Amino acid sequence: MATTTTPTTKVPEVRDITRIERIGAHSHIRGLGLDDALEPRQVSQGMVGQLASRRAAGVILEMIKDGHIAGRAVLIAGQPGTGKTAIAMGIAQSLGPDTPFTALAGSEIFSLEMSKTEALSQAFRKAIGVRIKEETEIIEGEVVEIQIDRPATGTGAKVGKLTLKTTEMETIYDLGNKMIDSLSKEKVQAGDVITIDKATGKISKLGRSFTRARDYDAMGAQTQFVQCPEGELQKRKEVVHTVSLHEIDVINSRTQGFLALFSGDTGEIKSEVREQINAKVCEWREEGKAEIIPGVLFIDEVHMLDMECFSFLNRALESDLSPVLIMATNRGITRIRGTNYQSPHGIPLDLLDRLLIIATSPYTEKETKQILKIRCEEEDVELSEEAHTVLTRIGMETSLRYAMQLISTAGLVCRKRKGTEVQVEDIKKVYSLFLDEARSSQYMKEYQESFLFNETQTAQMETS
Amino acid sequence: MAAQSWIDNLKSSKKTALIHDGKRKIHYLFGDGKEMAEEYDLRTDELVVRKWRHKNTLGAQGQWQVEVGEPLVGPVASLDAEMLKENCSNPVFMRKDTKTSFQWRIRNLPHPKDVFHVSVQAPERCIVIKTSNKKYYKKFGIPDLDRNQVPLDSSALTFTHANNTLIVSYKKPKEILTLEQELMKELKKLKATSEGDIDCKTQ
Repeated sequence: MATTTTPTTKVPEVRDITRIERIGAHSHIRGLGLDDALEPRQVSQGMVGQLASRRAAGVILEMIKDGHIAGRAVLIAGQPGTGKTAIAMGIAQSLGPDTPFTALAGSEIFSLEMSKTEALSQAFRKAIGVRIKEETEIIEGEVVEIQIDRPATGTGAKVGKLTLKTTEMETIYDLGNKMIDSLSKEKVQAGDVITIDKATGKISKLGRSFTRARDYDAMGAQTQFVQCPEGELQKRKEVVHTVSLHEIDVINSRTQGFLALFSGDTGEIKSEVREQINAKVCEWREEGKAEIIPGVLFIDEVHMLDMECFSFLNRALESDLSPVLIMATNRGITRIRGTNYQSPHGIPLDLLDRLLIIATSPYTEKETKQILKIRCEEEDVELSEEAHTVLTRIGMETSLRYAMQLISTAGLVCRKRKGTEVQVEDIKKVYSLFLDEARSSQYMKEYQESFLFNETQTAQMETS
Repeated sequence: MAAQSWIDNLKSSKKTALIHDGKRKIHYLFGDGKEMAEEYDLRTDELVVRKWRHKNTLGAQGQWQVEVGEPLVGPVASLDAEMLKENCSNPVFMRKDTKTSFQWRIRNLPHPKDVFHVSVQAPERCIVIKTSNKKYYKKFGIPDLDRNQVPLDSSALTFTHANNTLIVSYKKPKEILTLEQELMKELKKLKATSEGDIDCKTQ
């Protein structure tokens, strides 16, 4: 789906290892689309319409960024296909990579290997980050020579050697396969000054050495010249990085010694370990060694949680080490799972009382058109004006999701007939090929008798 | 005073001794979670190995760090797991003490002796090895002196070069010698489990 329509302009260079992202349902969203005063722009950062709820999400975002308030919970409620997940993704994108954002679906916590509450606690703790200083060993030097031998047969392990130097010394390193890959990905060549993190193998280019600066070298404007490092190649450096509480839990709950060989998965983490770590983290914070970054836990389809989970959430939200919880649901008044009671959104009233609720409303025709246009750009499909109007109609009458599905399929049909722009006929074709939910139901009703097991039609399916 | 605190530290640590392979092996566990392991030759009482293990800030067990003796060579892991390792033709740095002096040996250094320049940097508390052909450089401290806060003295330092090996020696000061003798007496009092079956709990 993601292939370009103009293959002639793209020279297939070295197969790019970096681009592995595929086009997902929400990959067009890059933020919440708000201006500095938190006023939503009509169309921005992939977001369209839904102004009031985006503004509300912006206020929540400010609260998260402040990081002072713990244990708040937000519920995004609305009909299917009104952008609930999109808003959550927007929040995640605007938080940046340093704030932990953990997303899970309500049904993910049901597992045979772990209790529901354990899964929830782990999710909670994954959403709390700790910024901490740690000493690591790095190798910093100028590349003298890089030599990679590929086997003549094309298969088998590559062998590589890297010579690095400082102003005082020189060392030769043997390279593993992974290192060879990342060196070629970073396009490291002789004359570059690089650092290698010994523990993780992460390579960063600092620039080119001054000794290699010649006026006839063709290089980009952004090339920086740096001095060749001094002293020893291996140095100890303090780095600041963010780990989640869950990661610290896992490190400390592993069995020590040779028993560690037999325990693969950590499974449940003892509450004593958690308490110990909480105490230690608080101590670090008081000493100024660490900083706590409360993140976001997003639970989609929250109505799939049952009564036990909800009462656990009630309790968990009261802890001062709890993240901001964002939930999303598309249910109205329905049965709470695990009980026989009915409640709005399938969430018990005592939990609802703790929530800030953001409502999303169905998109208007203009907004639908706009969203479809953004999706077309994202999926690299060109749509003619009429086809766009037709698709918008389909989106209004059936659902936005169905209309979005038609974009890529129509794009394929169009390419098969060697067209460059999707026309109304292409849309018509895929519309007849693929049924939407309403037409499929209609078809069922009409031809029910001729299907297998039609005698069981009276039994209603359990949907809540 | 500081020398006192180090020996107190040693005395208060939890020690386990074991005689194996003609060596007296002692494991120290300090109050702050650090571990130290030493191995002494039974006949000469010379220190053969001293290594340290710390827990990192997050609580994960670190690797053994060798202070004295041959660098640890584990089972030869494939290069892929290591990502990067020094080529075997590079100089190998190790410390190997004698009774009267600290000694460092750097193998695989084929350069003539006049290339090397070894000096004491007293304010930084370290010894620096330089080469005029810019092939090797090393800056290292003497942890024994640091622990007891004894100043470095450039007159105690000598170096020789033979068989592709540079040998740097530093004469142990009086304080260290008395401390080591005291420690040795202490260690000999420790009841050591001898070679053979050790009471090992099986699960």
